[in-house]
Amino acid sequence: MHDTNQNRRVVITGLGMVTPIGIGKEQFSARLFQGDSGIREIAAFDTSRLVSHLGAEVRDFNPLDFISAKNVRRMDRLSQLSVASARLAVEDARMVIGMENRDRVGIILGTAFGPTDLKICCTRILFEQGPSRINPSLVPNSVLNAPAGHTSLELGFRGVNTTVNHQATSGESAIVYAAMELQRGTADFILAGGADILSDFYFESLVRLRAVSPTDGGAEGARPFDVHRNGPVAGEGCGIVCLELLAHALERGAVPYCELTGWGMSSAPSNPIDWPQDDKGVILAMQKALKMACLSPPDIGTIQAAGNGGKNPDAIEAKALAAAFRTNSPGPIVSSVKGALGECFSSGGMRAAVLALSIKEGKVPSTPGLMNPIVPLNFTMGRFKEANIHHGLLNAVSHGGTNVSIIMSRVQ
Amino acid sequence: MQRERVVITGLGTVNALGKNTGDFARGLKNGICGIGPLTLFDTSRYRTHTGAEIKDLDLCEMVPPPFSRKRLSRADVMGIAAVVEALRDASLFPFPESMAEDTGIILGVGSGGKLEAESVYHDYLKTGGRRAHFSRLANLCPASSADHISAALKITGPKTTFMTACSSGATAIGFARDLIACGAASVMIAGGVEPLSRTTYATFNALQAVDPEYCKPFDRNRQGLSLGEASAFLILESLTHALKRNTRIYGEVLGYGITCDAHHMTAPDPEGSGAVRSIRAALKDADLLHAAVDYICAHSTATPANDAMEAKAILEVFGKDITRIPVSSIKSMTGHTLGASGALAAVASIIAIRDGFIPPTIHHESPDPGCDLDFVSTGARPAVLNIVLANAFAFGGNNTSLLLGRYAEKGLWHA
Repeated sequence: MHDTNQNRRVVITGLGMVTPIGIGKEQFSARLFQGDSGIREIAAFDTSRLVSHLGAEVRDFNPLDFISAKNVRRMDRLSQLSVASARLAVEDARMVIGMENRDRVGIILGTAFGPTDLKICCTRILFEQGPSRINPSLVPNSVLNAPAGHTSLELGFRGVNTTVNHQATSGESAIVYAAMELQRGTADFILAGGADILSDFYFESLVRLRAVSPTDGGAEGARPFDVHRNGPVAGEGCGIVCLELLAHALERGAVPYCELTGWGMSSAPSNPIDWPQDDKGVILAMQKALKMACLSPPDIGTIQAAGNGGKNPDAIEAKALAAAFRTNSPGPIVSSVKGALGECFSSGGMRAAVLALSIKEGKVPSTPGLMNPIVPLNFTMGRFKEANIHHGLLNAVSHGGTNVSIIMSRVQ
Repeated sequence: MQRERVVITGLGTVNALGKNTGDFARGLKNGICGIGPLTLFDTSRYRTHTGAEIKDLDLCEMVPPPFSRKRLSRADVMGIAAVVEALRDASLFPFPESMAEDTGIILGVGSGGKLEAESVYHDYLKTGGRRAHFSRLANLCPASSADHISAALKITGPKTTFMTACSSGATAIGFARDLIACGAASVMIAGGVEPLSRTTYATFNALQAVDPEYCKPFDRNRQGLSLGEASAFLILESLTHALKRNTRIYGEVLGYGITCDAHHMTAPDPEGSGAVRSIRAALKDADLLHAAVDYICAHSTATPANDAMEAKAILEVFGKDITRIPVSSIKSMTGHTLGASGALAAVASIIAIRDGFIPPTIHHESPDPGCDLDFVSTGARPAVLNIVLANAFAFGGNNTSLLLGRYAEKGLWHA
């Protein structure tokens, strides 16, 4: 992706955040660097029968702030969060979408589980009342590409439109694909990121599958990279970033947050519900990204890690980070915001925004929940760290052995 | 900068016409209808009772070592079988260890392990939440099929899954092409998987989009689609890599385009603007004029709205040249295989180029004055095909068009 050709440089020019720690970039940024956590007792549904009760919910979200009353009724929560996030991102990028440019504007969105509430609703009606009782108006919303479809309808753009659905790498893969499409010249402006929601049966499944804290019966909570971690806390939200070519951004007078200079995608052999036995896949993705950006490990100032408090994933990623960055001292500042945002699976857009803000503001957010690191990396703990960052790394690590790494750099 | 050419070196499919490309090719050539009474689940309470189902999926036969046969969904079994066939076809099975790092997989999906997940949820409802096999749910995410395949082959290249309803499979092929073209991999396994499920069947029935007997693409009396199930995979390879290992080359991915209608969540834009733009984007990507196309493998689901829109879009792009470009719908034989349909159309297109025939549109009896094209409705037609356009359009207004071509050393379409 690193390309001396000015016409192929991809930059981020807008952030649209609808998250557990705030709606809109300003609130998100303020609470992010304060180290606030969005994790609370789940309010949207009853968790009393279960062993887990915590979640990172998007609170105080009023869809009518973003969508007309007439159209709100046609969308489920996932689509509402996505449309709101897209509107905020376009506004932040000061982009005007009109008849003359709508065919060159697109969206590539990631979602790991899709509209879980509606999928279950349709299945429940099917089994309890019979197939003839399914309301046809529910149907268009029950597919995973509905959020991207609604977003294009609401914002009125008709360019590239697709949805990535690969576990906890969905959002990051969407960003990579968006960058490739811009470089291929098929669009001028792409909204990219990810969205997932919390809903009752989905949450119960995560709890019964022992996929969320407390997996060991201990104290519930998200503690990324901590020796006492016992699983992630489930979250929800939507993060969308605006991507465009640098030349396009400059031409319309936009100020980029940062540039995407490299990415790498890799797999590691693993059962779909399990974790790979080693850290090779994570290392491979990071190496590919560094190679594309023409950088070496000492160039990386900060890492926005995937660590979510899970036993295996955090161990694998920490081992990979220690191996890949071991020659540097003190090494890049490592942070994970999943102690604040929870694990929403399609967190790529939200976390890309965190890294963009880190580069722009010279601050790396704290890692809420981390007290006793499992490896001696340069973690942020307690409060944010100030740093002059030229290049940052964003990691996505998923069960089933899927990895994406993205390098974001200050625009030179 | 010269982009790396991406060629197709292997094909694999399981669908209602057969459990391998040989049976599929024979079905297409003979105009066999794969649509019949559904037996996969009880349809007595549904409005319709037919579909294009894969009969007798045999686990042992279809899932050879090194694939594990444990905890596989119907989608996984179909997907693995087609990938194994495609790899064998490309002389890559058993998969060579030396290529593992340079090989990835991109999957297009619809419902993944929904059929099995429905059963888990059914038990959950019946027992008031007390007895449900949650452990069985874990493996049922659509992405699981790609994870199973990459794990067994021990490949470590790029891996992801697309879900854009009915255009997923075509988009997966496009993205895989891009990954090879930009040097992120030398070989990509790309395709789509879609099993039938009760909820899919129920939701399409709720929309009254299903024909009670069998679908009749472009016919005046068409009433809707027939749901089907399929897996279809292609082995994509950089031309350099394919030449180096001296393997047979079926064809080339010449280009693709993705657009969005932004018109309505389920109804296509009646003007066909999204389809027109996706076809033109594919032509532009391939640097081809529309007149170079020899055959159009239409999306044509046989819903009244889709077929009228698609015929209109094709007319707009191809103008009077359409009189010499046949258009057909393989969905009249395979049913609409949703997330897999774009990949299945790609496999059918390469078979058509390889075997020199145009698959027919069966059940097309009464011409519709609104869709008046050459639909190849009297049976398969022998033809020398160099360039084929395959369309895939979806709910949400997602459109993907693929351009596939016969392989020629210097690119014969520029000759």
